[in-house]
Amino acid sequence: MELFAPDFGLVFWMFVSFGILFLVLWKFAWPVILKSLDQRADLIDKGVEYAQNAKAQLDNARQQAQEVITDARKQQADMLREADKMKNQIIEEARSQAQQEAQKVMDQAKLSIQQQQKEAEQAFRDSVSDFALQIASKVVKQEMADPKAQSKLVSSLLNEMEGKN
Amino acid sequence: MNMNRFLKIFFLLALAICSFSARAAEPESDAQAAADQAAVAAEARLEAEAATEGEEQIDAKKIIFEHLGDGYGWEVPFNHHVRIPLPIIVRAKDGGFHVFSSARVQHGEVYASSGADFMIAPEGADHQGKVVQILADGEFYRPLDLSITKNVAALFVSMILVIGLMLWLASWYKRNGFRSPRKGLGAVETCVEFVYNGVVKSTLKEDAPRFAPYLLTAFFFILGMNLLGLIVVFPGGANLTGNIAVTLVLAVLTFLVTNIFGTKEYWKEIFWPEVPLWLKVPLPIMPVIEIFGMFTKPAALTVRLFANMMGGHMIVIVLTLLIFIFSYMSPVAGGLTTVVSVGFSVFMLLIDVLVSFIQAYVFTMLSTIFISLAQAKAHGHEKKESVAKAIEDALV
Repeated sequence: MELFAPDFGLVFWMFVSFGILFLVLWKFAWPVILKSLDQRADLIDKGVEYAQNAKAQLDNARQQAQEVITDARKQQADMLREADKMKNQIIEEARSQAQQEAQKVMDQAKLSIQQQQKEAEQAFRDSVSDFALQIASKVVKQEMADPKAQSKLVSSLLNEMEGKN
Repeated sequence: MNMNRFLKIFFLLALAICSFSARAAEPESDAQAAADQAAVAAEARLEAEAATEGEEQIDAKKIIFEHLGDGYGWEVPFNHHVRIPLPIIVRAKDGGFHVFSSARVQHGEVYASSGADFMIAPEGADHQGKVVQILADGEFYRPLDLSITKNVAALFVSMILVIGLMLWLASWYKRNGFRSPRKGLGAVETCVEFVYNGVVKSTLKEDAPRFAPYLLTAFFFILGMNLLGLIVVFPGGANLTGNIAVTLVLAVLTFLVTNIFGTKEYWKEIFWPEVPLWLKVPLPIMPVIEIFGMFTKPAALTVRLFANMMGGHMIVIVLTLLIFIFSYMSPVAGGLTTVVSVGFSVFMLLIDVLVSFIQAYVFTMLSTIFISLAQAKAHGHEKKESVAKAIEDALV
């Protein structure tokens, strides 16, 4: 049958056209295409690798930043606590100093008051005794005009003294 | 944008072929043209008469083989008498080459070309349907025929198509560097990558760059021919890969590549395989089997591609013919068959698109495996196992 018998003309032209096709593509198409495909595959691989590295670095950096932030927070908290303590201490010191000062002032005041009181008492006593003496002398002058009365008084005073002793 | 360019290229191509054919037809003398027309008219009248009588039985077998086979001149749709003329190139018995248009012998005329008469052998004669030289004694002599027949023209169309696509892809890479193409060109690139990475590289490993140009060329040539064969009108329609001459050449090329680049280990395994001594010494049983195997591989390649593609074409033609056969029996049956047949034809053609791809893929894959078997290194067993695994993977 014709279908199963290869025709020489077609075989010949098939060789010719396959030859032309192969030579043209081998020279101008396949090297460029295959090289580009390989290069692109390499480029993509490299890109992926690069992206992975970048991501790892980013993660690392993020972690470091987190650590730094935590550290800073801790330091801040410490500092605040320290400052608080210092403030309390200063206030306490100031208060105690003020108390001491006040105490001192009060003590001095007390002392001077006592002194003045003493002085006032003394002055009062002096003046009272003066008055009393003056009154007494006046009274005595009046009373002692009579010599009898004078001797009676002397004797009563002497009695008194005896009684005391 | 890309699509437009593609269409432009395609139309330029079609125009070039048309004008070439037209030029081939030009030198025809007016008288001859008139005679031709008269002949055509007469034939048409006869056929019209036959048709009105409705007595003409359809010769299904003839139609099928006409469509599956080759021909001088390329059919056009809706007209059985006009064909696009193609050059006929023959070497007459006296050794002189004769070139003339197929339009001159198309309807059974005898063409006298400077000292030799040619015609297409009529039905029933020797070399039926082929150009023959009529010798002085009236005998038919089949000359050496290098005509650009329909199949050869379709071969050129596929070749130009594949060259165009690949140069286009290459020029894209030159212009755009690492950017990957989109749309149509992207599809071409995907196919290249699919074959190169999926078949060639995975089987041949470090030998891949040496054989990739041949295997890729074979793949795209077969794919182009398969797909063009499915287009029913002019630039396609030739049953190329369903022609044994085409598949034979492809298989022979694979055979040559396999054996020319075969390693020492490969030849050793053929003539002195690692089998018990009694299998090769008194009677060289294993070497004979191995040598036989060398030739059965390309034979299998030839037949599987040929049979698969021819089968696809034949099914579509038979489905179409069913309409006419049933119409001959009764108009109602004809009408019903039309619906069913057209539906099935469309379905079959869609399947054939898939088959076109699969067959090109299988041819490339088998060629790759045969070549890789011939690249056997010193530790042949490992290689064989890996190839066997590759075959298994491919089949799964």
